[in-house]
Amino acid sequence: MKSLEGGRMVLIPLVVALLIPNESSATQAPRPLGVSLAKAALYQPRADNSWTCLDGSRSIPFAQVNDDFCDCADGSDEPGTAACPQGKFHCLNKGHQSVDIPSSQVQDGICDCCDGSDESLVVGCTNTCHELGAAAAVQRRNEAELHKRGAERRQEMITKGKQMREEREARRQELNQRRKEQELLHTEKQQLKQNAEALESEAVEIYKEQQRELDAETAQAEQEPQQMRQEASLSFVRYDTNKDGFVEVTELMVDMNLDSDRNGVVTVEEAKYFLDERDRVDLDAFITLAWPRIKPLKMLAEGLFQPPQPEVVASEVEGQQAEATTEEAQPTPPIISEEQAELAGGEDIDADEEGEEDQYEDEEEPDVGVGEASADIEDAAPPAYDPETQRLVQQANEARNALEEVERSIREIDQEIKEIDEQEGKDYGLSQEWAVLDGQCYTFEDREYVYTLCPFDRTSQKSKNGGPETTLGRWDQWIGKPKKYSQQKYANGAACWNGPQRSAIINIKCALEPKITAVSEPNRCEYYFEFETPAACDSEAFQAETDSLHDEL
Amino acid sequence: MRLALGLLATICALVVLTDGVDPGNFKTCEQSSFCRRSRKVQSAGSKYALIPGTLNTYADSLTADLVNKENHHQFAFKLEALVGSTFRLQIDEKQPLRPRYRVEHALKGQPQAGRIRVEQETDGEIVITSEKNKAVIHGDPFRIDFYENDVLVVSVNAKNWLYFEHLRQKAQEPTPDPSENENQQEQDAAVETPKVADAIDDPGAWEENFKSHHDSKPYGPEAVALDFSFPAAEILFGIPEHADSFVLKSTSGTDPYRLYNLDVFEYIVDSKMALYGAVPVIYGHGQQHTAGVYWQNAAETWVDIQTAETNVVSSLVNFVSGSRKTPPPAAHFMSESGIVDAFIMLGPKPMDTFRQYAALTGTHELPQLFSLAYHQSRWNYNDERDVTSVSAKFDEFNIPMDTMWLDIEYTDGKRYFTWDKFKFPNSLAMIKNLTELGRHLVVIIDPHIKRDNGYFFHQDCTERGYYIKTREGNDYEGWCWPGSASYPDFFNPVVRDYYASQYALNKFQTVTADVMLWNDMNEPSVFNGPEITAPKDLVHYGNWEHRDVHNLYGHMHLMGSFAGLQQRDPNQRPFILTRSHFAGSQRYAAIWTGDNLADWNHLQYSIKMCLTEAVAGFSFCGADVGGFFGNPDSELLERWYQTGIFLPFFRAHAHIDTKRREPWLFPERTREIIRNAVIKRYSYLPLWYTAFYELELTGEPVIRPLLAHYPQDKEAFGVDNQLLVQDRLLVRPVMQQGVSKVDVYFPAIDEKKNGDWWYDVDTYQRQERSGYVSVPVDENKIPVYQRGGSIVPKKERQRRASTLMLHDPYTLIICLDREGKASGSLYLDDEKSYEYRQGKRIHTIFNFGNGQLTNRFEGNPKYKSDAWIERIVIAGLDKVPSSASITVNGVTQQLEVLPQERSVVVRKPGVKMDVDFALKLNYQ
Repeated sequence: MKSLEGGRMVLIPLVVALLIPNESSATQAPRPLGVSLAKAALYQPRADNSWTCLDGSRSIPFAQVNDDFCDCADGSDEPGTAACPQGKFHCLNKGHQSVDIPSSQVQDGICDCCDGSDESLVVGCTNTCHELGAAAAVQRRNEAELHKRGAERRQEMITKGKQMREEREARRQELNQRRKEQELLHTEKQQLKQNAEALESEAVEIYKEQQRELDAETAQAEQEPQQMRQEASLSFVRYDTNKDGFVEVTELMVDMNLDSDRNGVVTVEEAKYFLDERDRVDLDAFITLAWPRIKPLKMLAEGLFQPPQPEVVASEVEGQQAEATTEEAQPTPPIISEEQAELAGGEDIDADEEGEEDQYEDEEEPDVGVGEASADIEDAAPPAYDPETQRLVQQANEARNALEEVERSIREIDQEIKEIDEQEGKDYGLSQEWAVLDGQCYTFEDREYVYTLCPFDRTSQKSKNGGPETTLGRWDQWIGKPKKYSQQKYANGAACWNGPQRSAIINIKCALEPKITAVSEPNRCEYYFEFETPAACDSEAFQAETDSLHDEL
Repeated sequence: MRLALGLLATICALVVLTDGVDPGNFKTCEQSSFCRRSRKVQSAGSKYALIPGTLNTYADSLTADLVNKENHHQFAFKLEALVGSTFRLQIDEKQPLRPRYRVEHALKGQPQAGRIRVEQETDGEIVITSEKNKAVIHGDPFRIDFYENDVLVVSVNAKNWLYFEHLRQKAQEPTPDPSENENQQEQDAAVETPKVADAIDDPGAWEENFKSHHDSKPYGPEAVALDFSFPAAEILFGIPEHADSFVLKSTSGTDPYRLYNLDVFEYIVDSKMALYGAVPVIYGHGQQHTAGVYWQNAAETWVDIQTAETNVVSSLVNFVSGSRKTPPPAAHFMSESGIVDAFIMLGPKPMDTFRQYAALTGTHELPQLFSLAYHQSRWNYNDERDVTSVSAKFDEFNIPMDTMWLDIEYTDGKRYFTWDKFKFPNSLAMIKNLTELGRHLVVIIDPHIKRDNGYFFHQDCTERGYYIKTREGNDYEGWCWPGSASYPDFFNPVVRDYYASQYALNKFQTVTADVMLWNDMNEPSVFNGPEITAPKDLVHYGNWEHRDVHNLYGHMHLMGSFAGLQQRDPNQRPFILTRSHFAGSQRYAAIWTGDNLADWNHLQYSIKMCLTEAVAGFSFCGADVGGFFGNPDSELLERWYQTGIFLPFFRAHAHIDTKRREPWLFPERTREIIRNAVIKRYSYLPLWYTAFYELELTGEPVIRPLLAHYPQDKEAFGVDNQLLVQDRLLVRPVMQQGVSKVDVYFPAIDEKKNGDWWYDVDTYQRQERSGYVSVPVDENKIPVYQRGGSIVPKKERQRRASTLMLHDPYTLIICLDREGKASGSLYLDDEKSYEYRQGKRIHTIFNFGNGQLTNRFEGNPKYKSDAWIERIVIAGLDKVPSSASITVNGVTQQLEVLPQERSVVVRKPGVKMDVDFALKLNYQ
């Protein structure tokens, strides 16, 4: 582009007409309408009254600047009209903030600049810049004050957060130490157990022969639960589609095998039945509570399961009839429980029910037994050992229990270490200011739902009309741009029907008290929380931001 | 919008996933008793004859008695000549047991009678002429041949498939229907009816079941059917609405095309299944002659199509024999009840035939400009803040947008004429936020009424008996969005008046006169009804069965709505979008193609479907941009916008379960492609607006198939992935995934394969030859060509809404033909009111020839406009002119001419739109 500097400042009368009207300040350079002060120098005609488009593409008579016809490919010849498609119009907005608006909004009958400079006088825009500027200044002051006061609280949060981190680190050290101690102890106890068991095994060997047959029976009984457990675990993995370690109601609802009433849809109620009326279960609960209910339906679906009920019912009826002939009509339940008692091999069938139960419980935890401490054999009475053997068995049991104790302690330590490591893995901010929010929960109610946000853990939603709590997402990461710590994402929530897994975005603003101010679902299954906390208050950053916005005026 | 069968739909979707509709929910011909019965005639034929000595002739018509020679039942036959090469043929029972339904309100008025001359009258044959046309009526077997300029173009009952089931008493029915005791004359007629062996033994004749639904059929069999052959035609097209090709396919071995307004969930393409609308007009087209038949019947109708499928064998046979061996294309219309009422339109050219049909059923009137601009919809914009912020986002990203839409969730529990007070506590403020930016709001109002005793509308309808009744006389209750719902009987003029009065601003206080209307679910959709609609034995005003009037229900709904909007603000043109439609509904509303899917197939069928609708009167047609169900990927969405901008109705819409898809939610690249497409649409608004004015003026469709202007080009007959905008633009959108080129067909104007010149509107590159041309396309490219010889008006300044463009200057694009000539028109007015009908309009014809552009006005240019001509682009000049001069009122001014790569731009002519001028190119 040719240099414009040093050009003789010849202003032909036409150019004056193009100047911004109502500009009284002598400090402002004369320039065509829609041109910013910064660019004023670029809009000077050459001596021959020609002018070059700012992209250098063409030279045109200066009279064609703002003549309502687009001559330059970059739109630079029409800063004050709507003639060029990609043009920008500069609103000076004296008293408020200067902005560039697209040329499409120039002379369209709508006052876009607060100084009204984008519209002709006919439209009659009123200049509202001073009011808006004043209001904005107040707003800024309030916000600055808020950030300042909030920052004090944030400082407390930082202190607390750092302290928490130190505590975690100290605790981690301590746990490491304890784990080492426990490992030593473990070696020792293991040795003791081996010794005791050697003696025990020698002593009881003579009783073993008698025991063989009994073992053979129990082995089969043991195998079954083992197999059951395996199946259950496999199913758990299959159901747990969001891989969060829990099977949720919604995850079950996709399995049409569970449509108990065969109406073509698995309702929440139906699904919940299989989860023992819970919203979700972990693996253990799944194996013990859910799988026994699900399995028969699975087998039924696979054609493997022949319901045994008819037989049972038949025999019950027979039994009932048989008894009814000998005794006077008796209520049904006692009959069944008597039968059960008989089947279980109880000896005192005449004892009252409570006594029976008590006795059973006692029997389940024999003081003296064979094999692993936890193993129990319901039906078989323990063999009668001689006192010396009993003592050795007793000692072996104690050694086993002692080892178990140490192992449990190690597990507990490992668990705690894992938790601490998890927390260490979370990003609590540059100064740990967000750490104190971990472990807290906040709720928000709208017309239909109660929403919960537990920062760094999960978000959820619960209908006010009851029903299960739905996970909207689990802690994922910070996703704010450009300010990372202004937005959080929670992902992998409960799956939507025929849709994605739910997720939540948390927009975070500065305030003195932590609070959720709004929740919305602009996209199906994508939730937005508006969350306020002093942790987001940063006086210096705020100041820097506002300064950068206002450098033109 | 959508049908959702609640749980049922949920399960269907779960099972079939994206496979779409379950056809098992809808009847096949075999499952429909009257279709079975009517179709059976095709094997043996029927025997009808005129009764000698019963002929009466009048100035415009003739009548005679017709007899079924098998059962001796007698019919009244009437043939009437209408102005504009059209005949009307009516057949009814001479003395029916009870009156048979005759369609009302479909025609735009009483057709203008023509004159006939009886040329010859013998026992077996009557020949009449009217204008340049001739009808030959054969007595036995009954047949009518229609000639245009002595060429046989339509033959009625040439196949002897006429089938007319006269009303009869049910056998072994001791007590006649009480309603028939009221009229002694009818009783007498019944007694007189000859009791011959004409029993109808189809098991569905007197009652019929479909799935769990029972149709009581109290009046028994009453079907009417007739065949129409088109001896001068090679293809048939018309009878929307089907998701099918433009050219109708043979139904040999398949079900007939079905016309029965239905709410079809996730409809499938390439199908003859019924959809939301029914327009029983069909056209037969050949290289020399085009003719049409409008079968005016509002009952369920099936149409069998007989065409020579263009397979190798038949074309080989034709080639060898040198003549047509296969019978001419024919259509067999079969309706469940009513009478034979057929309009025969004799063309001879496609555009003549379209005009003849428009003369009968009317056109959409000139719409407000905003309704031709971009509409932004979604089920649903959740609340006031949502609406306002979406509108603001369009400005933030500088994308033009005119109208925001609210689907059913804005209402208080699907009670129409109410608002959800929590989500929309201050609708008037929200509306003001839009209108202050030049934008509009459209709200949905569906015909189903929530049965809630606390709802005023339901109270009124219940107390005053405004609902459709069951056979037993109770208010019919169906299931729709609100749960239990009833349906106003819009056939009753009192109900329509009541309905219209609800729109008055002192009644519906939460909207303003700028809020327009969307009438959905008006087939009517009934979730628990047979085939998701109302049972056929319901009773309407005038004691007509729903069976008789079904396809008109939506039309009557529209009449109420249209009257409501006109009464609300008599000087503002109403805008209504409807899903259900019948012949003539185009006078009241725009249509869209209903609940389509976000896939490439549905994108392709949007063009085919709207082309068929356009020639059947519905120029104002569009498809949900992006697809209603499912989530389009970036590429599909981009291409859908680029296609949607060249259909008259341009709206993005999406199902509530889809992800949001406003343009800024996509990467910048996609956003820019969409923005460029929308801006392109806005730049062509003057052309669209002119085209709609000319539609109202002449009945010529706004978008047209190639054959409309290239009737001789056989290759062009079946091209339905391209469309013409008037005769000025040729559009071939990219509608396949991942392509880098598309084949564009440039039609031939004569047998020698000469073609028009076509100019690429982006580059002015010229195509001079007819035939297929492979055109490279990048992601921004939409292959659009302006015809050499045409002038297209544009506005190239961008605004955030079309209403803000009113005073903006025009650009004229002149593309020259081989002789260096071009012409074109421009229409303008206030874009909103009816004042154009008082002459406040400007309709200009521009002519370019011999290096000079002149204008001339149709009528006085009485509208005062601030707009002016900003630039004139001329493509196809041999040499670049050095300058131009413009002369206005004897004053001549020099203008600069800016040379471009393949065109020149005349800089700033600056003339106002209502002055005569002459612009001359100068060569030094």
